[in-house]
Amino acid sequence: MKKSTIIFVLITAFFYSCSTTNQSVLKSEAYKGMYAEKPLTVLLMPPINKTTSVEAKEYFHSTLNVPIANAGFYVIPTFLSMEILKRESAYDAELFLNSPLTKFGEVFGADVALFTIIHQWDKTYGMVYVEVEYIIKSIKTNEILYSRKGQINYNTNVQVSGGGLAGALISVAATAINTAATKYVDVARIANTYTFKDLPKGKYSPVNPKESSEYAGPKEFKVNLNSQYR
Amino acid sequence: MKKTILITLSLVLLTACSVQKPLYTWSNYTNSSYNYLKNSDEKSTEELIKTYQEIIEKQKGSRGVVPPGIYADYGFILLQANKTAEGKAMLMQEIALYPESRIFIERILKMTEK
Repeated sequence: MKKSTIIFVLITAFFYSCSTTNQSVLKSEAYKGMYAEKPLTVLLMPPINKTTSVEAKEYFHSTLNVPIANAGFYVIPTFLSMEILKRESAYDAELFLNSPLTKFGEVFGADVALFTIIHQWDKTYGMVYVEVEYIIKSIKTNEILYSRKGQINYNTNVQVSGGGLAGALISVAATAINTAATKYVDVARIANTYTFKDLPKGKYSPVNPKESSEYAGPKEFKVNLNSQYR
Repeated sequence: MKKTILITLSLVLLTACSVQKPLYTWSNYTNSSYNYLKNSDEKSTEELIKTYQEIIEKQKGSRGVVPPGIYADYGFILLQANKTAEGKAMLMQEIALYPESRIFIERILKMTEK
């Protein structure tokens, strides 16, 4: 299960790195604030859940620290901050999306807060839909430094006909997702992989001097994954 | 000449598509953190602890250090299991490795003294 998930994520990452991007805006322009403030410490705000799935919030919360840390940032410990936010009755991030965040800077020592909004988290007729919006706000200036919105539509009706090795790999990965109890979370992870691929790297990542002159990905993206995806 | 261009081009393409070695390795974190949230029973807690230990002891990422938050969250689980001394030691490790965590972690350490 674990290996096939990784393979699946790798495949999607591979396709993404080869796919065309929004050929008009450079990262230096799209994420100007990120380059200006060079944030180090990221606080994961509890996801804002606009769906009827009550479990989406916590599960999605738990998927966010790995990609952000892998991008070179310090992520405030997930379970510990979850606990404190609950105790301080700050577990509803919607209340803070449009208000000053200085308090979070004082308590957590964070430079930026990552807000996420789950717009869709459901399943119909063999399709899994996950739509998430990502907003990184500066705790110092309250400015939005990064925002993207992504929808992943995953077709769980796996019918791979031919397709060689790529088809076989996708079939294995797809079946794993198909049978796993964690399918929403896996699909959400793919959304994370897509969105944070565009995030300017943090302090702990090797410096890439060309990064800021790369093209930024589209602000809103939609990805359809199924057995035809190869 | 044409061949050289072709080879160069395909090399460039391959490099653009390659996946770099990640900064950290996470062992079975993805599954065990999910199971812990979902079940929060003895089995899933043990599994999460095992994962933390593996991330710490068998770290194979390019930075060669434990990823952010791992020592601290491990410490938190230990504190909840009433292993206070061990838990606090882990929290201190987080500060030592990531000084930017000091503000938050010291707050937690103070809470454990009340």
